[in-house]
Amino acid sequence: MSVEPFNRLVKLAARAFYDDITTKGDNQPKTGRSDNRGIAVVVLDALTRRQWVREEDLAKDLKLHSKQLRRTLRFFEEEKLITRDHRKETAKGAKIYSAAVAATAEGQRNAKEGEEKIKLHTHSYCCLDYAQIYDVVRYRLHRLRKKLKDELENKNTVQEYICPNCGRRYNALDALRLVSPDDEYFHCENCNGELVAESDKLAAQEGGDGDDNARRRRREKLKDMLQKMEVQLKPLMDQLNRVKDLAVPEFGSLQAWEARASVAGRAVNGDSSSNDPSKSSQGLGYGRTPMTFIGETKVKFVLLIYDSASTSDCTVEVAFSGIEGKEEDVKSQTGSSGLKVLPPWMIKQGMNLTKEQRGEVKQESKMDGISAAEFSHEKKSTSDDVDNKSLQDEYVKAYYAALLKKQQELEEAAKNQELLQVSNSNAVPESVSNRQVGMKSKREEDEGEDDVEWEEAPTGGNSGESYKVNDLNVEAEASGEEEDDIDWEEG
Amino acid sequence: MFFHIVLERNMQLHPRYFGRNLRENLVSKLMKDVEGTCSGRHGFVVAITGIENIGKGLIRDGTGFVTFPVKYQCVVFRPFKGEILEAVVTMVNKMGFFAEAGPVQIFVSNHLIPDDMEFQSGDMPNYTTSDGSVKIQKDCEVRLKIIGTRVDATEIFCIGTIKDDFLGVINDPATA
Ligand SMILES: [Zn+2]
Repeated sequence: MSVEPFNRLVKLAARAFYDDITTKGDNQPKTGRSDNRGIAVVVLDALTRRQWVREEDLAKDLKLHSKQLRRTLRFFEEEKLITRDHRKETAKGAKIYSAAVAATAEGQRNAKEGEEKIKLHTHSYCCLDYAQIYDVVRYRLHRLRKKLKDELENKNTVQEYICPNCGRRYNALDALRLVSPDDEYFHCENCNGELVAESDKLAAQEGGDGDDNARRRRREKLKDMLQKMEVQLKPLMDQLNRVKDLAVPEFGSLQAWEARASVAGRAVNGDSSSNDPSKSSQGLGYGRTPMTFIGETKVKFVLLIYDSASTSDCTVEVAFSGIEGKEEDVKSQTGSSGLKVLPPWMIKQGMNLTKEQRGEVKQESKMDGISAAEFSHEKKSTSDDVDNKSLQDEYVKAYYAALLKKQQELEEAAKNQELLQVSNSNAVPESVSNRQVGMKSKREEDEGEDDVEWEEAPTGGNSGESYKVNDLNVEAEASGEEEDDIDWEEG
Repeated sequence: MFFHIVLERNMQLHPRYFGRNLRENLVSKLMKDVEGTCSGRHGFVVAITGIENIGKGLIRDGTGFVTFPVKYQCVVFRPFKGEILEAVVTMVNKMGFFAEAGPVQIFVSNHLIPDDMEFQSGDMPNYTTSDGSVKIQKDCEVRLKIIGTRVDATEIFCIGTIKDDFLGVINDPATA
């Protein structure tokens, strides 16, 4: 369930279709400062770096007026790219969200949580709907192609007519009602205006005389357009194909997402030992949110956290999709990276790309070197590319071993579930049903194990170095994701 | 396309027709009511070919009318998308031309007329090739292909094309 290919899809689609969308009202002049074309792309890009986000927060991050942002988001909602959720919020509700945000940022923003003063009114949240985006983009391409082809072949198309006065549309099946005894044109039923055949609009645009010559020219123009479309939208279509068989990232509804995120936050922060919800700061309201996780979801989810913990490292992404049990395949595939090199305009810092996608190796390795030095204070290990490469391989191997082991353990844990259920149900003071309590305690138990596993696993390879790699990820996340994120949005 | 099918209809008959000729009266009324009508479901009823069965009449309260359920065989004509028809041109204008195939009206828009035919206005508006060898005008017979139908409860309207192999004018009474 890797998000990255889907994010790339969103970014490509944004640039292909929403580049010059302006969300200004019709009454405002579209000139100078008020021209907000391009904002749609910025907003979509920002959303690829988030999951559920409160719209006010997003506006603040993007330095946009919230009204303007809302207008853009409403547009995307109509375009079926995002889902939104509105709710009247109490202070508690807001805290649940803050906790969830904190959790997705691995608890790094814990401190912020307290500051947030929330008034009691409606807040809106939004989130990309990847499954729908996939369908919407495909449908759009299909319609584009069909329209051009139909018009080009001029075959089996029901001619459409439009009234230039009132904009009313008709097609050839209405012909009987549209003929007039006075002249040889069709007339609007509404305003008696003379109807124009729709495909003639293209000819009219180029000042054609509407007869034979223009028809031929239109044909050529259409053919040209179709070809251009195939070429220019090729990256988008390629990405659609690439994404086709991947599991679509689902964040679920806002509530479900919050619940999951706060749980995960606990796991990452290692406070799973405390069973008392009131003790952990992220767990606010957690005890009141019904948990309905089953074993499978949980495995995936824990991995999701690992994924976000090391966004700039491709190897984790591999492991992530490899959970289905065919690690070997996926590894070799992404190892040689079937991904295309991104054009420079697509590459922004903080984007989470493989080196091959960036079309460079240098920068990454330099970064590795620096942070390695920073973290271990050992200059001697400031390494060249080869070193890093082998180091990474080592790390991947160790990670797979750990993953496999963990899966086995999870299975065992599942078997032991009933036992745990009995032993732990007393520890939770909430008045939730027995079954939910069982789920909860099981999950916490498992995550406890995971934590240990995660830290120990790389040590199996070669203790000193793999430790550095582990930290590298944290570093990359911290600098690459957080700061650059903001940079990019301000610019 | 033509079909020979069995349909059923409840006929109401005034008491004055009761008597020796009840059956004949019923059938002639059925023909008058049904032939030439169009239902979206079955198409145009061209002709009744036989009566299958006349059920028991039911006297309506208050009026004295009697309702007979009648099963009858008939020929129906229903156009389909993709079907090829021969039709007579009824009107030509700048937007295309209208034609009739029996009860069905068909419109052929100008972009479904071959590119080498141009519209000529005048007393007899027509579409003509540049060398003048082929001319489409009122009363011409054309062969066309149906590319779309609009089926209402009581009406069927078609649009067609003559922009394909073996389609177009097949006989022009004006030149014959
Ligand atoms: Zn009008």
